[in-house]
Amino acid sequence: MNLTPGKHVVATDFDGGEGILVDLNTKKYYQLNETAMIVWKGLEQGKSTTEIAAEITSNYEVALDQATLSVERIVDNFQTYKLISASQ
Amino acid sequence: METVTTFSGDYGPQRLSVELANICNLHCSYCFRADENLYSPHAEFFPVDLLRRVISEARTVAGITRVSFTGGEPTLHPQFTETLNTIAEAGLTASFVSNGWHFDRVWPAIQANRTALSHVAFSLDGVTRETHDRWRGQGSFDRLVRAFSRCYMSNLPFGLKIVIRRDLMDQLEQIALFAARMGAASLHFVHVMPTSNTVADTAALSLEEQRVAEQEIAILARIFKMNIGLDVGYYNIDEERPPCSPLAGTSMNIDYRGRLSLCCNLSGFRGADNEEDVVADLNVESFADAYAKFVSLAKAQSQRRKTALAALRSQGLTPDLYTGSPCLFCLQSFGKIPWH
Repeated sequence: MNLTPGKHVVATDFDGGEGILVDLNTKKYYQLNETAMIVWKGLEQGKSTTEIAAEITSNYEVALDQATLSVERIVDNFQTYKLISASQ
Repeated sequence: METVTTFSGDYGPQRLSVELANICNLHCSYCFRADENLYSPHAEFFPVDLLRRVISEARTVAGITRVSFTGGEPTLHPQFTETLNTIAEAGLTASFVSNGWHFDRVWPAIQANRTALSHVAFSLDGVTRETHDRWRGQGSFDRLVRAFSRCYMSNLPFGLKIVIRRDLMDQLEQIALFAARMGAASLHFVHVMPTSNTVADTAALSLEEQRVAEQEIAILARIFKMNIGLDVGYYNIDEERPPCSPLAGTSMNIDYRGRLSLCCNLSGFRGADNEEDVVADLNVESFADAYAKFVSLAKAQSQRRKTALAALRSQGLTPDLYTGSPCLFCLQSFGKIPWH
């Protein structure tokens, strides 16, 4: 399944790895912590959730299963708020 | 019932408006600044040393507490950080108006001088990518939204300024809603400053259209919590009080060459054949001498307009747009719109 950031979303990087998304449809801000921003950037680069989780484990001291769980939870949130779209 | 729009009469604090740069990176066709400045191959930037000297003198002589930076695009100043440092060191507060394009680049300078910045004003041309970028080029809207994001998350108040072109007449409420949802602290509308017959006919509002727009803005100002107002070009025929802060003597403009002039809306006006609004070159004159000339010109211009309004009143005539609007009256009487 391909997960693609919506074209209606504008992302901004902040110092320290955090970020913010603006949904231009709803005109709402979403503040992202460092992990969520890594996930968002990964999706922008066309990476799968597995690849993003692997990237997190290579940069942070976290087990793969924990990283995968975090990435999936964050992706679920992105989908709930219609910030990304999924396609086969 | 008709909703009456009136000028609030609040001229704000004593302040300087300083043009930091003559150039701009965007090409907005309705902009009233002269092309030879905005797109000059010779970029000129306000010298930081002169800024330091002028604000010190202006503080003593005119009691200024604020400086607002304009342009061109002020963030193009190669010493933008130093200009903000200068304000912070002087214990004053500053704001600047920007198209937002270079906001990411100047963000560290803003963070470093956060306490000296009261707010940032962003120019907006529409509430979608399509409508905004049509006037300001592809990518402008996204950059602007990123700038909003930075301000919003850092609690730096930001306002929006939007020129009411004719095609935006039916979108004023939508614009206010957009500004509110983005977390803007203020929304200031601006009438088109006509630079030619073509601009006047195609983009600027007629007197009747202005009245409708100004009534709508007054309604929006009552509905929304954020500050909503009309900054430039409004119709005001009150003969008793100065119609604007420059004529009240509370705001003074200094152009990118370091010349003190009456108003930022007259400065570098496209197609102008007169610079009588420029009173002194601060590179060679003290602010005290220049300020005396400024006050004298502001008084003379106020009186000139009072006389014009009184003459029409005595004949039982309603002032036309070019007399009733203080901005258009000044444009006309200072030779900025010779085509009119």
